Amino acid sequence: MSTETGAASGAATEIDRWSESLLQVRNLDAGYGDLQILTDVDLDVRDGEYVTIVGPNGAGKSTVMKSVFGLTSHMGGTVTFDDSDITGMPPDEIIYEGLGYVPQNNNIFDSLSVRENLEMGAYILDEVPEDALAEVFERFPILEERQDQTAGTMSGGQQQMLAMGRALMLSPEMLLLDEPSAGLAPDLVDEMFEKVDEINDAGTSILMVEQNAKEALRRCDRGYVLVDGKNRYEDSGTALLDDEQVRRDFLGG
Amino acid sequence: MGVADGYRTRVGVLVENPLYGLLAFVGLYLVADLILKLGGIELELAGVKVLGGFEPLNSFLSKVISGLLRGLIIGLTGIGLSMTYSILGFANFAHGDFITVGAFIGTVTSYIVAGVIGAATYDIGTLALLKIQATQLGLAITGGWVAFAAIVLGLVVAGAGTVGVVLVVDRLAFKPIRDRSSVALLITSIGVALVVRYLANFIWGIEKFTTSSPLDVWEFSVTLSSGDVTVNAHDLTLLVLAVSLMLGVHVLLQTSKLGKAMRAMADNKDLARVTGIPTERVIRFTWVLGGSLTGVAGYTWVLWRGTFGWFDGWLFLLLVFAAVILGGIGSIYGAMAGGLVIGLARDLSTVFIPSALAKASAFALMIVVLVVKPSGLFAGRTTA
Repeated sequence: MSTETGAASGAATEIDRWSESLLQVRNLDAGYGDLQILTDVDLDVRDGEYVTIVGPNGAGKSTVMKSVFGLTSHMGGTVTFDDSDITGMPPDEIIYEGLGYVPQNNNIFDSLSVRENLEMGAYILDEVPEDALAEVFERFPILEERQDQTAGTMSGGQQQMLAMGRALMLSPEMLLLDEPSAGLAPDLVDEMFEKVDEINDAGTSILMVEQNAKEALRRCDRGYVLVDGKNRYEDSGTALLDDEQVRRDFLGG
Repeated sequence: MGVADGYRTRVGVLVENPLYGLLAFVGLYLVADLILKLGGIELELAGVKVLGGFEPLNSFLSKVISGLLRGLIIGLTGIGLSMTYSILGFANFAHGDFITVGAFIGTVTSYIVAGVIGAATYDIGTLALLKIQATQLGLAITGGWVAFAAIVLGLVVAGAGTVGVVLVVDRLAFKPIRDRSSVALLITSIGVALVVRYLANFIWGIEKFTTSSPLDVWEFSVTLSSGDVTVNAHDLTLLVLAVSLMLGVHVLLQTSKLGKAMRAMADNKDLARVTGIPTERVIRFTWVLGGSLTGVAGYTWVLWRGTFGWFDGWLFLLLVFAAVILGGIGSIYGAMAGGLVIGLARDLSTVFIPSALAKASAFALMIVVLVVKPSGLFAGRTTA
């Protein structure tokens, strides 16, 4: 018990160190309708950083993502991205700030072709950005091969690639990925994590929610453990993996 | 072995679903009946007529033409209904009355243009309230350049005017409850339908107006041994217009940015929002497209039938719903195909049954299609 409160307050005092960070979430309370899910959540992602949120089912991990992207009812606290206050801003405005979001489910337009999906990703631009498109095709060659295929007929892994490709069309500064490995076959899970690494190496900051907590923590720079809609632990990925308490309670030993 | 297996599976289908057998029987019966009727052969069993009769070929062909034209109007109207369903998420019961709006606004425009530039013996009030027949104005598309201009302007204003009305309706009635359930929107649309319908009633009265008589319109006849099959210039106008508008919608949805965004939004509204697609603008454009097609459809109805009343759009909506559901609700190609099927069924049914039951037969066909393919002909192809 004392370890947990210690860790939580420790995280709170560290926040000053993050005043320069790209994404700053401060004392965020949010939920759906009248139902509050998140209480007093603090979270930071620095420029170029790769951060994951892990935690048990129902902890509010996806809700954090949705709240950052303006998809929940805002109840308190602030969200700042790249020095502008995006608290409570609707998603179709947030997209202009350089933040991209890949939802967990239904994250492609099934009846549109692969290419049309990517074009929709760049809807807010006057022209389809050829350089971004070329970059997406380079990162996910399968999408170029299948650009005329109806997106809904592709495999789960390919659909997930397309969903990420769509979000990358605006060359965002930061990508929010909600469980990119969910529902993928084991060999595809590795490929997916590789792709996320590559995207991050190319300079895009990542905030990711993952069920596959061990793998995610191994790969990320920093991790947050979220429990019951509150911050519980915050540390580098490897430190969290090494922490006895975290291992026992949240990573299955 | 192949034959035996084939036999077994065929019988298997009938055992599993005896309804298919019944449907096949009814279908074959109707085809046989039609062939005998066209040949003028009547079969009696114990003094009761069981099959055949007499259906002159020219009358049959006229029914095919009439069914096709009706089907085109249904399809044109159905596109808007289907788009409203897939993009705004509700069945719009006011859609039929938007046909009425197009029919009246367009006809009034034509009357005023023809009456003021042409004859100039009628005052605007008489013209605007459609108190005279268009024959007195020579209002036929082949009746000289004034009449032609009056009809073209009528078409344009029917489309544009309906768009205006539809946008006002959306702003006042639907936009404030955009996020509510589809049932709330549906019930609101019934209220809108009543308001629009009775406004038309209030302005133009309960009598149907009648425009040109067929005599004024250039027509083309083919003489068969049983009589003539006639197509007039207004029928051709409807045909050309409807087909080109449908092609236009297809091109727009498949190639334009906004068209793709409409399909994207029909597919997945939540994702459209997080992708940055301006959903309100897409919705407005949906109304513009659906409204203009429906308004034009209403005016072509007037051109084709030469008459229209305040209640006709509402009655017509039933056929449009049947077509859209039969085609697979939400799919615009389904609406087009469903329109043709329903239109043909409506007119061809009079070969077999009294014309008073023609509409019922269209619904019967819809039910049959839904029994065989419950989600409609173009199921799962949301607006694409």
